Formats: sequence, C-alpha cells, structure tokens
Amino acid sequence: MTTTRIAIASALAAALVLPAAAQAQGNMEKCYGVAKAGKNDCQTATSSCAGTSKTDAQNDAWISVPKGVCDKLVGGKTTAG
Amino acid sequence: MPLALRDLQAAFAAHLLGADRADLTAEVFGDTIPASARLRVYRHHVFESLGAALAATFPTVQALVGADFFRGLARAFVGQSPPDQPVLAEYGAGFPAFIAGHDAARELPYLADVGRLDWALNLAFHAPAGGRLAATDLAALSADRLPSLRLALAPGTALISSPYPLDRIWAASQPDAPAGTVDLDGGAHLLVLRRPDDAAFVALSAGEVAFVTGLADGLSLEEAACRADSGFNLSVAFARLLGLGALAASQ
Repeated sequence: MTTTRIAIASALAAALVLPAAAQAQGNMEKCYGVAKAGKNDCQTATSSCAGTSKTDAQNDAWISVPKGVCDKLVGGKTTAG
Repeated sequence: MPLALRDLQAAFAAHLLGADRADLTAEVFGDTIPASARLRVYRHHVFESLGAALAATFPTVQALVGADFFRGLARAFVGQSPPDQPVLAEYGAGFPAFIAGHDAARELPYLADVGRLDWALNLAFHAPAGGRLAATDLAALSADRLPSLRLALAPGTALISSPYPLDRIWAASQPDAPAGTVDLDGGAHLLVLRRPDDAAFVALSAGEVAFVTGLADGLSLEEAACRADSGFNLSVAFARLLGLGALAASQ
C-alpha cells in the first residue's frame, strides 16, 4: 500500500471507534412530519366539497404580492442569475 | 346524442383542468342547481385538494410567500402539471422548477431552492427508515480493505446546495421563529436525511460535500476522500456520516 492509502485506511478505521456521541453532532434541523400524515385523505378541513359558494374560484386575480415571512430576508442578491 | 362513455370521461377530465364544455353540461342534470355549477364543484375540489397537498409538501415555500400567493402559484402549477400517479405525497416533483420559471417568484430568487429543500425533506420523510450502515457493521473488516469500499447513500438522503442560506431561511420560516431579519448573504450545502421519526438536515462543509458527492457518484471511500480539499478531516467526516445514518447498509 502507498503511504497515502495507509493514511486513508487509518483515518477510516479511526472513524469506526470514535464515541457515538461524537459522531452525529452538529446543528441538525429536525422537520417533523405531523402535517404530512394523512395527506391522501379527502380534504375535510377546508370543506372543498361543501356548498357551491366556494366552487371553482378560477380566475387570475390571486394576490400577486407575497405576504409571508419573506420580508424578513434582507441583503444578498435580489434577482436570479 | 349522448356522449359515449369514453368521450364523457374525456370531456370530464378536460373540464376539470380546463374551461366549461357545452357538450358536457348538456349531459348533466340541472334541475335545482345549474349543470355548469354542479360541474364546477369538481373542478374546485381538484384544485383545492392538489393545492392543499402541495402546501403540505412545500410548507417552507408557503410560509415565505403566504397562503394567498401560494394558492395562486399552486393553482397555476396544477393546471399545467396535473398528477400522473395517484399518491398525493409524491405529487410536486416539478414544482421547484415551475417556481424558478414563474414571473411571480422572480423577486424571490431563493424560492425555487427552498422548494427543492422542501421536496427533499418530503422524499426523506417517506423513505424507508431502516437499512442504515453503522460503524459496528464495518468493525470486522481489516483497515486495508476500507479505502476500496463503495458505499451508497441511504434511502432519502440527498444533498441540496444553494447560493442562498437555505438553513437560515428555513429556520426563519418556522412557525416559532423569532422576529427579526435574516441575512441572505452566503450559500449553504445541506444533507437531508431520513431520521427514525422524521426528516432532518445538517449543514456540510465544502470537504464533506465533495466526499458525499463522490460517494453518491459511486466512487470508493479513497477516491471520494481525494476529491476533498486539503483541510478535510476524513475520520471526522466518515464518523459523522455513519452517526447520522446517511449511508446505506451493505448488501
């Protein structure tokens, strides 16, 4: 084996004996899937089946200005590319 | 003359994503509620249900732009790219690319990348949880065999890179995020993972990105390690990937 290969083999072998607590650390952001459960159900919460007053709101008059938390983000590039 | 069943079904499908059709309304009873109104209930339901599914799959995108804007974006996408399979959790693969090409999102150039992160988290969440390689699985191998091992990423594991700080954007979009602004400068390399009970992501260094990309490309551990920069700590990175459950158990 070359010196480089020996060094790599040693580094990999060392990884196997690091304490488990030291292995997985580092700012993990957890994304809980509660809202994802049951997604394939018929929509009951929004009652899209109920009544005709809400039928077919098909038009292009949807609000074209974002109104979420994106206004918290500042700086950086403001255009693509 | 009544439509044949096949033509009736085709007309109904076209109606759902398109405009009202006289040949279809002529087939539907309109005694108490006009036939066109009856039929629009179905179209409304399709767009509402698929829009709700997209909102569940892309919660960070929705948080960023708000529910009204998202509904319009989703409606445009649904009309252009209806599902081609029945599982709602698997619907929306093309949504990030759609966002990237949409005029309305031009002012938010990071939005498509946020969509890619949401989609990767969705795939991870629905990926099988088992089959992770652990350090103990390799303990029986002699050290000189480790460099030539080829290890695949575990199901649901994905690397998402962006010129925008997706981790900070994601954090700022959570319901319990603190007030205050977030600096958009700086990119991010995130490794999305299937965890035992959820999906998650961690930030990777440039060396780790090169190493993981090499493994994903089918390189051996040695070859992948040689792709990383000189400051790369192979022991720490390999131990971290094993600890995270990012690697698939060997066959």
